[in-house]
Amino acid sequence: MKKRKVMMSLLLSAAMTVGMLTGCGSSSAPAASDTQTATEAPAATEDAAETPAADAESAASDLAYSGELTMMHFSTSEESQGNGGSDGFRTMLANWKEAHPNIDLNESVLANDDYKPQVATLAAAGDLPDVFLLQGMNTKAWAEQGLILDLTDTIKNSPYYADYNEAYFTPFTDGDKIYGLPVLTGGTCTVVVYDKAAWKDAGFDKFPETWEDVKKADEYFKANGYTDTIAFGNQGKWQANSCFLSVVGDRFTGPEWFQSIIDKGGAAFTDEKFVEALQFTQDIFASGIFNEDFNAITNEDAREYYIAGDAAAFIGGNWDVSYIGATLLETDPDLYANTGFAVLPQPEGATGSTNTQNIGLGYAVAINSKLADDPDKLAAAVDLAYYVTGPEFSKYVGENYALAGLTKVDNIDLSKFDQYTQDFYDFSYVSTTPCEIYDSYVTSAVWDVLNTDLQSMLNGDISAQEVAENAQDAYENNY
Amino acid sequence: MLSKKPKAGTTFGYLIVPLALYTFAVFIPLLVAVYYSFFEWKGGPNKTFIGLDNYAALLRDSVFWQSFGHNLYLVLLCVIGQVGIAFVFVMVISTRFVKLKGIHRTLGFFPSTISAVAIGYIWMMIYDSRRGILNWFLEAIGHPEKKQVWLNNPALVMTLVAIPLIWQYIGYYMLILLSATSAIDKEILESAELDGANAIQRAVHVILPMVKSTVVVCIVLCVSGNMKAFDNIFVMTEGGPGNASMVMAMYGYKISFAQQNMGYGSAISVGIFVLGMAVIGVMQLISKLFAEKEA
Repeated sequence: MKKRKVMMSLLLSAAMTVGMLTGCGSSSAPAASDTQTATEAPAATEDAAETPAADAESAASDLAYSGELTMMHFSTSEESQGNGGSDGFRTMLANWKEAHPNIDLNESVLANDDYKPQVATLAAAGDLPDVFLLQGMNTKAWAEQGLILDLTDTIKNSPYYADYNEAYFTPFTDGDKIYGLPVLTGGTCTVVVYDKAAWKDAGFDKFPETWEDVKKADEYFKANGYTDTIAFGNQGKWQANSCFLSVVGDRFTGPEWFQSIIDKGGAAFTDEKFVEALQFTQDIFASGIFNEDFNAITNEDAREYYIAGDAAAFIGGNWDVSYIGATLLETDPDLYANTGFAVLPQPEGATGSTNTQNIGLGYAVAINSKLADDPDKLAAAVDLAYYVTGPEFSKYVGENYALAGLTKVDNIDLSKFDQYTQDFYDFSYVSTTPCEIYDSYVTSAVWDVLNTDLQSMLNGDISAQEVAENAQDAYENNY
Repeated sequence: MLSKKPKAGTTFGYLIVPLALYTFAVFIPLLVAVYYSFFEWKGGPNKTFIGLDNYAALLRDSVFWQSFGHNLYLVLLCVIGQVGIAFVFVMVISTRFVKLKGIHRTLGFFPSTISAVAIGYIWMMIYDSRRGILNWFLEAIGHPEKKQVWLNNPALVMTLVAIPLIWQYIGYYMLILLSATSAIDKEILESAELDGANAIQRAVHVILPMVKSTVVVCIVLCVSGNMKAFDNIFVMTEGGPGNASMVMAMYGYKISFAQQNMGYGSAISVGIFVLGMAVIGVMQLISKLFAEKEA
């Protein structure tokens, strides 16, 4: 009797251990598909119901492959609520799945913040899924490691090649080889969102073109009940780089400098022009036109200052514009109607183009190099990549959200959109000059160092020169 | 019956389970990290053996040593805050003037059951410069000039992120110390009281020496816990402003995953392990010295 009890308890504890071990061991991959089954399943059926099978016709082709195709992306169903690129991407995936019943597209869907470390870990382990979204700045390193397939010829042979917006390929290019098809929608990372009526009251018919004028307006706003002139949030440290410096840098250095940084053509972060851009950034953040807690709050918090009417303007990216639009439409239709978009004013002493904003496609569909051994499977992956970045997608996001993707499509009818959406379309794709998004290039090792220093610099704890020197060290050691 | 010694096989059978678990979850990853730390490995299948270069870089890495300093500061605050305050609370709760002891114990322990991420968010709201109750309180008591953007002050930020940690774990150490003090014979305390010792004297000269070994365990737990602090700081500041609240574990995470430098990240993990052991070793040495002095 006693012996049986002992055996029993041993067995039980062994079972528990095994349970815990398997729980630990498999946490990386299945956890991802858990998220997927939780978020994916209901939305996928929704999508499929929304879009009739007619769409599937262009996706259907004779693919020899049947079986599993693994894919990882970050367009969760939550994300697709209101985010056009995400919604379009999910819709295209649903269409493609429907058109290819023989292929079991096994998706792992994670929120973007989780996606980045997860895909980096899988890359480190040499265990990437068949198809996934590649971030521009990983291109060179992963290509060097032989993790991703060279898609140069695939892209040239694409049925939509003539309509591709060539400029979008640059972040995914290494030498003369291209490693991905840029995906989702092109969105600006730096836009001034402002209350046209308030700025008119301050004496400006449109957003000022110089920072001197912004400072003048600041006096007016502070005297007239506004807490801040411009709201900004940099707690995550990347915002000051992506949503400010990337454009200010372009204004000071011109595009050639950054191209030279990308090509290792001799430009350095310590070059005078770039240090001037850093110095300007430090000075303007010290001038008091921004909310004083900009380093302690995120962009999500800062845009609430604009929505609440505490700030007369806000600087952020396209993701903020869609949130602000959706929120104001419900809470403050007047402000919604009065909201306009502008490029950053020109810094004093800057000699570059005055009308630039950084826009691009941050991610591209990339294919695991292991697929080269299985031509049929590769053909299926390529077909999927063509389809989700093709005209069908551009048409969908154009007509439903006034956004554009990799493939240009003509005759997008914008007339059904309200002024807010039309104005932002105009800002993004028509009336401004595009420039590069810094952290789509080079390597995260440089940006992580620069972003951290930038936050200290905006507090006045280190100088622009030191920031430049540290960034240059990181650049020389890691790129 | 009870005193009968179990067979060696039975004992071994029971012990192998936690040992296997420990080996799997701690030893193997540690050994693997040591192995990886000899390589330049920026993710992907290609690794280059570089010997001790990562460790040489680690010795010169000012951010890492700054983070180590932050960990030590955190340890100091938390040993005083968590174990110290917990001891005071235990003394107060065990007096006969305190009613509803069970409720005090439960509510005191409650914060340690909440996830550190949620606690980070709660305290972020408290510190918020516009809507937070800290600034509201300063305004209410007539000191609006003391209001500031708390988490953006490099001189204060380590203390500010330590406060939630202290608050969270007081109850945990309280529980451990309570169980130790409840084992003290009541007669000893009563005779001390009859001899005229007041509450503070009883706490310092009677109770503290009797629970000394438990206090040492608490301090070791506290030190090892804070050498690997990560979650609530990550939520509140991500190590900012700049690196003003960077701690070692977060730095290792940033290097490994944000900068994708797995080889160097492994070297940092090994560094954290060695430094953690060293700190605990130094502490035990000190407590031994004390013990010898007393003897």
